[in-house]
Amino acid sequence: MKIVKVPKPSSDSMNQKRAVSSLLKTQMLHLQEAEFRLPADYQTNIYINSIKTEGEAAEYIRLVTERIHEAHTARIRRARPKPKRERTFAIAAAAAKPPKKKAKKSAAKKKRQS
Amino acid sequence: MMENRSFDHMLGALKAQNADIDGLTGTETNPDITGAPVPVQELAEFQGQLDPDPDHHFPAVNLQIFNGGAAANMQGFVKSYFNQRRDVEHSKKIMYYFKPDDLPVLTTLATEFAVFNRWFSSIPGPTICNRAFAHYGTSFGKVAMDLLYVNEPFKSVYNRLIDANPKHTAKLFYYDQTSSTMEIVNLLQHQPELFGTYKEFLDACDKGKLPDYSFIEPNYNDHDGDDGEELASDQHPDHNIQAGESFIASIYQAIRKNDALWKSTALLIVYDEHGGIYDHVPPPACVPDGFVASANDTGIGTEFKFDRLGVRVPAILVSPWVPRGMVVKDRVFEHASIPATVTEHFLGTYDQRSPREKAAETFLDLLTSPVFRDDCPVFDFE
Repeated sequence: MKIVKVPKPSSDSMNQKRAVSSLLKTQMLHLQEAEFRLPADYQTNIYINSIKTEGEAAEYIRLVTERIHEAHTARIRRARPKPKRERTFAIAAAAAKPPKKKAKKSAAKKKRQS
Repeated sequence: MMENRSFDHMLGALKAQNADIDGLTGTETNPDITGAPVPVQELAEFQGQLDPDPDHHFPAVNLQIFNGGAAANMQGFVKSYFNQRRDVEHSKKIMYYFKPDDLPVLTTLATEFAVFNRWFSSIPGPTICNRAFAHYGTSFGKVAMDLLYVNEPFKSVYNRLIDANPKHTAKLFYYDQTSSTMEIVNLLQHQPELFGTYKEFLDACDKGKLPDYSFIEPNYNDHDGDDGEELASDQHPDHNIQAGESFIASIYQAIRKNDALWKSTALLIVYDEHGGIYDHVPPPACVPDGFVASANDTGIGTEFKFDRLGVRVPAILVSPWVPRGMVVKDRVFEHASIPATVTEHFLGTYDQRSPREKAAETFLDLLTSPVFRDDCPVFDFE
């Protein structure tokens, strides 16, 4: 069986200050389009044209993705049917019910005992 | 699905090892802006070379393929790259390709499993419309980076599977929330049912709970994550190539180490488009998609009927049921082959698909090894 070494990228590869690529710009535009469809309190109000570096773009992408998650979770929570509350007089009526009587012994049981 | 590298750039050098692989002879050239021939050279670097990002929008790709003429001759790559920086020396770098030893993961998988000689991007254009073909089997008439709107006539492959039978499972795994997805419309409509993270993918492999169909997206940006620095692994210029190698290897290993999963999984590694980088094979004609992009949308003064493919990209099929060293020749594949294969495998006959997808080749017939292979490679991370 062949074992193949996978080299580590050089430690200076990371560059969060790299200018935003056209791909990331497009991703941000699409995310902005998506966040405009979210309820207002989930929108970031970030002006994406001010984002110049990959690190800043990453931060915006994270924020909107999180907001989409949160809005989705909230929508599901709102859509879940709430348990029906009984009306007040029904609760009061239940409280006023007399205690259950003890069951009478059946005729067959009485016979066996006698 | 990785980002923006051509077949010749990544795998072209393998022709020297196996003549069946339709790579480079070393004699291929493109004219520079002065008309002097610029040869292909084995000088590609992991990072720092293709800056600015080579243009791969519709008009630029048109120049790369046709060089201003009527025949597809793949002679316009250097000119196209020159247009961006107006630097003759720099424009020659678009012809550079990697030595096989530089890409131990990709070249090992290509030579140990099945490599496709003719897998083309679906459109001679950029990322989003090409990725759409992998999800929907069409880009709904788009040739650029437009957002794909909802209520289109064809369902994504994920929705098809789940709607047909709720027992089916299908997911897109993006790297993490800071990288997110390029499938924003789906994200908005189907979060979180259809989406997971790369960590969740690894966990699913570990527990043998991988969905019936998974689409894995790389990390699209350099950022700080919970576990420290996260390097972009998409291989999009100018991101580090080795980070992408490591990402591909980690996916392979995650499947490989679970015996049951390894026996029952096929892994396709493919690139969305060529990223403006040289390839020598002219893209062929194909079945029109039924959509038409206007002259205004294409930016070249003529409309596009989706009747020819984009530039060739690396594609490798991995499975212990693929014979070692298979080269898939003479059959043309494109990204619509992905939903076509998944749909055929899980749903059989399915009519509500684009003409392109219906005509696309499928690839599970390549799992032809009569015996389960126990000689498959393993990766050892430095």
